[in-house]
Amino acid sequence: MDISTLLTQFGDKYWLALLTTWQLTVISFAGALVLGVLLTVCRVAPVMPLRWVGDFYVQIFRNIPGAALLILLVYALPYLKVVLPYKTCVLTATTLIPAAFCSEYLMAGMNTVGKGQIEAARSLGMTFPQILKNVVMPQALRSSVLPLTNLLVATMLTTALASQVPLNPTDLTGLVSYINTHAVGGVTAFFISAVLYCGTAVVIGQLGSWLDRKVRLQR
Amino acid sequence: MSAQPSIRDFLYEPPGPRARRRITAATVVSAAAVAAGLALVVRQFAVTGQLDARYWSFFARATTWRFLGQGLAGTVKAALAAGALTFCMGLLLMLGRISRFRPLQAVSRVLIEFSRGVPTLLFIYFFFLAAPQLGLKLSAFWKVAVPVALSAAGMVAEVLRSGVNAVPRGQTEAALSLGMRDGSVFFKIVFPQALRSVVPALISELVIVLKDTTFAYVVNYADLMQNAKVLISNYDALLSVYLVVAVIYILINYAVNKLAEAAARRTAPAGKEPLHGTDTRN
Amino acid sequence: MAQTPVIELRHIQKHFGTLHVLKDINLSVAQGEVVVIIGPSGSGKSTLCRTINRLETIDSGEILIDGAALPQEGRELARLRAQVGMVFQSFNLFAHKTVLDNVTIGPMDVLKTPKQQAREEAMTLLRRVGVDTQAAKLPAQLSGGQQQRVAIARALAMHPKAILFDEPTSALDPEMIGEVLEVMTRLAREGMTMVVVTHEMGFARKVADRVVFMDSGEILEQNTPEEFFTHPQTKRAQDFLDSILKH
Repeated sequence: MDISTLLTQFGDKYWLALLTTWQLTVISFAGALVLGVLLTVCRVAPVMPLRWVGDFYVQIFRNIPGAALLILLVYALPYLKVVLPYKTCVLTATTLIPAAFCSEYLMAGMNTVGKGQIEAARSLGMTFPQILKNVVMPQALRSSVLPLTNLLVATMLTTALASQVPLNPTDLTGLVSYINTHAVGGVTAFFISAVLYCGTAVVIGQLGSWLDRKVRLQR
Repeated sequence: MSAQPSIRDFLYEPPGPRARRRITAATVVSAAAVAAGLALVVRQFAVTGQLDARYWSFFARATTWRFLGQGLAGTVKAALAAGALTFCMGLLLMLGRISRFRPLQAVSRVLIEFSRGVPTLLFIYFFFLAAPQLGLKLSAFWKVAVPVALSAAGMVAEVLRSGVNAVPRGQTEAALSLGMRDGSVFFKIVFPQALRSVVPALISELVIVLKDTTFAYVVNYADLMQNAKVLISNYDALLSVYLVVAVIYILINYAVNKLAEAAARRTAPAGKEPLHGTDTRN
Repeated sequence: MAQTPVIELRHIQKHFGTLHVLKDINLSVAQGEVVVIIGPSGSGKSTLCRTINRLETIDSGEILIDGAALPQEGRELARLRAQVGMVFQSFNLFAHKTVLDNVTIGPMDVLKTPKQQAREEAMTLLRRVGVDTQAAKLPAQLSGGQQQRVAIARALAMHPKAILFDEPTSALDPEMIGEVLEVMTRLAREGMTMVVVTHEMGFARKVADRVVFMDSGEILEQNTPEEFFTHPQTKRAQDFLDSILKH
C-alpha cells in the first residue's frame, strides 16, 4: 500500500495515535519528574531507611525490563485483588521506570556542585533551604537538562508498551500492528509511525540542546 | 555507592543535638512506615492465597530451574547476538558519521537518529509483520536479535563517537608526524584508545539490549519470559512465576551494571570523570 | 586588654576516627589582630581554622565568637557564621553566578540588604580588590588570583567581625600569589581581624601580629613573628623553619 492510500484510509487514526503517544509521554514524564525528585530527596536525606528505600527503588526499576513490569501490573496484580485499567497499567510502568533514571540524573547533577560551594554558602550564613535555593538546585538543574531531555525521548519510546494492551485509541506502535492485522499495510505503515516517533524525538532533542546551550556552565 | 565523595555526604551538615534528635525520630517513623508497607503487601499476598505452598513449592524442583535456565540461556544468547550486531552496526554508523565524505555523513546521521528515535517494539513488529511480506524470512532468534540490535545501534554509534572525540588531538598529530597514513592513524592509534574509554558505556548498553529481548514473546522465541509462560500453565501459578522471573532479570541487569561501574573505575584514572555514554534508554 | 576577644577557643578536642587531630587547643584572637597559623601539613591547622565556624565539628571544648558560644546548628549557627567570613583554598565561588552576584548574594539573602545598596557596596569592594572590571563575568572566566580576590570581596560584603583564611594561596600559580597576599596585607593594615592558615612565611613575618605554630594537633608556640622566626623555642619549630628555609 502506498502512502496516500494509507493516509486517506488511516490518516485520522495516525493522528489520534500520535496524540495518544504524546499524551502518554507527557503524563509519564511529568509523573517521573515528580517521583524522581521525591526519590532523590529520600536518597540524600540523612535518614537511613529513606536512603535504603530510594536506592532499592532505583535499582529495581532501572533494571526491570518494561515488558516484565507491564505483565506484572496487568496479569499478576489481579491475583492480589488489585485490578487496574489497562491505561493505568501502561502509565504506571512508563512512569515508574523513567523515575528511577530521573533520580540518577538528578543525583549526578547535584554531585556537580561540590562540597566547596556548599561550605562557602554555609560560611556566608545561609540556612539549608537558602543553600538549596541559591546554590544546589540552580546548578543541579542546569547540568540535568541534557540527561532529562534524553529521558523524555526514552520515556516516549517506553510508551510503545501501550501496544501490548488493548487501548482505544491506541498508540503509534499499537496502530501499526492493528493496520497490519486488518489490512496489508506493509512497510509504509511502519514507516509513517517511525517517522512520527523519530520526528518527535528530533524536535525534543533540538529543544533540549538549545536549552542546554543557554544554561550550561563552563567549569 | 562509589568511593568518590557524593552529595549525600555533605549536603547536610554534621548534625547538632537537635538535628540528631530529629534524625532519630525520622528514622524510627520511616522504618515503621516501611515495615508497615511491607506488612501490608505480605498480608495481601496471604489473604489472596498467593503464599500457598502450591504456588511456591515447585521452585524447589530442579526441573523448574532447568527449564528457567534454558529460557535464560535463550535470553542470553539473543542478547549476546544482538549485542555483537549492535556493536558492528554502531561501529559502521560511527565511521560514517565521522567520515569527511558529506553524503555518507548525512546518511549516517539520519540512520542514527532513526535508530535512537524509534521504539524497539516497532522494529520488532516490523520484522514480525512486514518483513515476511517483503520475502525476508528470519528465524525467531533473528527476529529478536536484529530489531533489538537496530534499535540500540544508534546509541552505540554515539557512544563510540564520544569516545573518539575524547582522544586528544595530539595523538593524531603525533602519529601523522611519524608518517602514518590517515586510515592507520585512526585504526591503530585513535580507535583503540576511544574503545577503551567507552567500555563501561558499552557494557551498560548491554543492559538495554538484554531488557529489549523480553519482547521475544511477540515472535514466539523461547526466552526466559516465554519459558515462564509454560511454567505458569503447568502449575497454574502466574504471580509467583512472573515475580521470580522479574527478580532474575533485575539481578542480571544489576550485575551487568556493577560490571560497567567496575570497568569505569578501572579505565578512568583517579579523580577523572569516567566517560558515560548518553544512554538513557530504559 | 579587658576587651572580649573576637574569637576564643577553649580546650578544643577533635578526633578523626582514632586520629587525634586537635589536642586541647586554646587560642584567642583580639579585635584587629592578625594571627597566622603555620605548621607542617597534617598538623591540624586547617582543621582548626574550619572549626571556628563549625565547618568541622569538635568533640569537646568551647568556641566563643565575640563572647557568645558558637551554636551547634540551625538559624543561630547561620547567624553567627554570617559574622565570620571565610576564604577557602579552592576559592569556592558559586559557579552559576556572576562575580557581582557572588558578592551580593550573601548581603541580599542573609542580611536582607536592598539590592541597589548591595550592588553598590559590592562594586566598591570589587574595586578595592581590583576585579571590578570583571563584575559581569562568571568565575570560570577568571584567573585563580582574580577568583580568590572575588572570594575575599564576597567575605567582606558581609561586614564580618573576622575573616578566616584557609590556605588562601595554596591553589594558586606562583605569579598570582602576590596579588592575593597584597589584598590580604591591605586588609590587615586596615584593622581587620584575621586568622590565616598559610605556608607563606614572608606574609607571616611581615603582616602577622602573632604567629601560632602547630604540629600534630597541638599548638606548640605562639609568639611575635620577630621572636618566632629568630628564636623558635621548640625543636620541632626549629626543624620546621629549617626545612622551609632550605627550599
